[in-house]
Amino acid sequence: MHVSQHKSQFVAVASIAAELSAVMEVAKEISLAAANAKAIAFRAGEKAKGFQPITDFINELAKETIELVNNINEHALKLYRLTVIEYRMSEACRRFESVAVRSANATYATTLKQSLDNARQRRNDCQRQFARHVSELLAQLADVMHPARAARVIAANSRIEASQAGEYLQSLQAVAESVDNAAQIIHDKVHKCRSALSVINTDE
Amino acid sequence: MKMTKIYEGNYQWIMYGRDPNKPDKIIDTNQYVVRTANRCLLIDPGGVELFAPMLAAVLHHAPVDEITDLFASHQDPDIISSLGLWDQALPHAKLHAAGLWEGFLRHFGCDSIQYVPIQDNGGVINLGSVELQIIPAHYLHSSANFNIYDPQAKILFSGDIGAALESPDAPVFVDNFDAHIEKMRYFHQRWMPSNQAKRAWVERVRSLDIDILAPQHGRMFKGNDVKRFLDWFESLQVGIAV
Ligand SMILES: [Fe+2]
Ligand SMILES: [Fe+2]
Repeated sequence: MHVSQHKSQFVAVASIAAELSAVMEVAKEISLAAANAKAIAFRAGEKAKGFQPITDFINELAKETIELVNNINEHALKLYRLTVIEYRMSEACRRFESVAVRSANATYATTLKQSLDNARQRRNDCQRQFARHVSELLAQLADVMHPARAARVIAANSRIEASQAGEYLQSLQAVAESVDNAAQIIHDKVHKCRSALSVINTDE
Repeated sequence: MKMTKIYEGNYQWIMYGRDPNKPDKIIDTNQYVVRTANRCLLIDPGGVELFAPMLAAVLHHAPVDEITDLFASHQDPDIISSLGLWDQALPHAKLHAAGLWEGFLRHFGCDSIQYVPIQDNGGVINLGSVELQIIPAHYLHSSANFNIYDPQAKILFSGDIGAALESPDAPVFVDNFDAHIEKMRYFHQRWMPSNQAKRAWVERVRSLDIDILAPQHGRMFKGNDVKRFLDWFESLQVGIAV
């Protein structure tokens, strides 16, 4: 793997971590919005009857997202560690190969072979593990898209329900609006994560 | 990489340096190797860029599995930023370095190599048939800093003390002390922070029987030039940046 490739790998993994922490913030906002909505719906009583189960559902979605992102974060951290190890192993291989070339006529030149073989072996192991983690991470990111999509559908329903809520119309509509926005943001961020990951060439 | 044998007895001291292929902007360094019948100690093995030429050079004298010990006089990148690579090449080796720097040096990568922390008052490196003394040289220039003294070969490896900025083709020994002074002055005045530390070190080193004073940059001192260096250093004002 080349230096520039490692650079893009480091950047990709770091930007995933950044996007994920943003997703986390937004998921927390949703859960707050859900709690708000619940309070309003409670006060609105009969008028917002249809709204109450929706707020519970929004809350569930937010929780689910937070849990998923926590798992993904752990994965991303592993990916980062692997990136560091893999970078070091690749560096070692590159330098050991350079030693082999330079020491061709040295008395003990052949004694390096074991270290070189080990380093290559470990580098290949790392690359395999890395590829596996990337595909797992991509799958998990796809999972986060689901609650975000569902949240948007629910937001649309909430708007309809809000319209029945008389004087509470505005505040419930605002809730629906903010859930919709948040879901949109999560969707975009996760999408960014996925494209950052796909930049990494794991075929090597 | 130029190799110069500086002691030959039951074991050897070899100096490696003046690497003609080193990238221009990195400082030239001297690496030293103590080679016994079946072990090998690398003293200040050098920076990442030096790893390949250095290991290739050592393979003229020792097989990989007999490179058992590394020593780092302090934490600087020109001393030991190659650690992560040695860690892959010599998984069973030991690194002797200041306990104070352990958490810092591990940033270079030290998973397989055993880190043997040196206490502030120094210690020894036992290579089986040879025992070397670790002499404290704190604040010269690093806050946890050590020299190595070999009483049998009468060599003092002095780290950055005695260092000079030289051209890559300079001879390995000082041949004209007075002419050499200007190549050392600024280095010592600017990198060495403490006159007090300097006096303590000079006093301690004066009590040692030294044939060769071997610094990590520039030329080595031998015979009377060792005493000349100690006298010159003793009277030099250091820590000039404040
Ligand atoms: Fe230094
Ligand atoms: Fe140095």
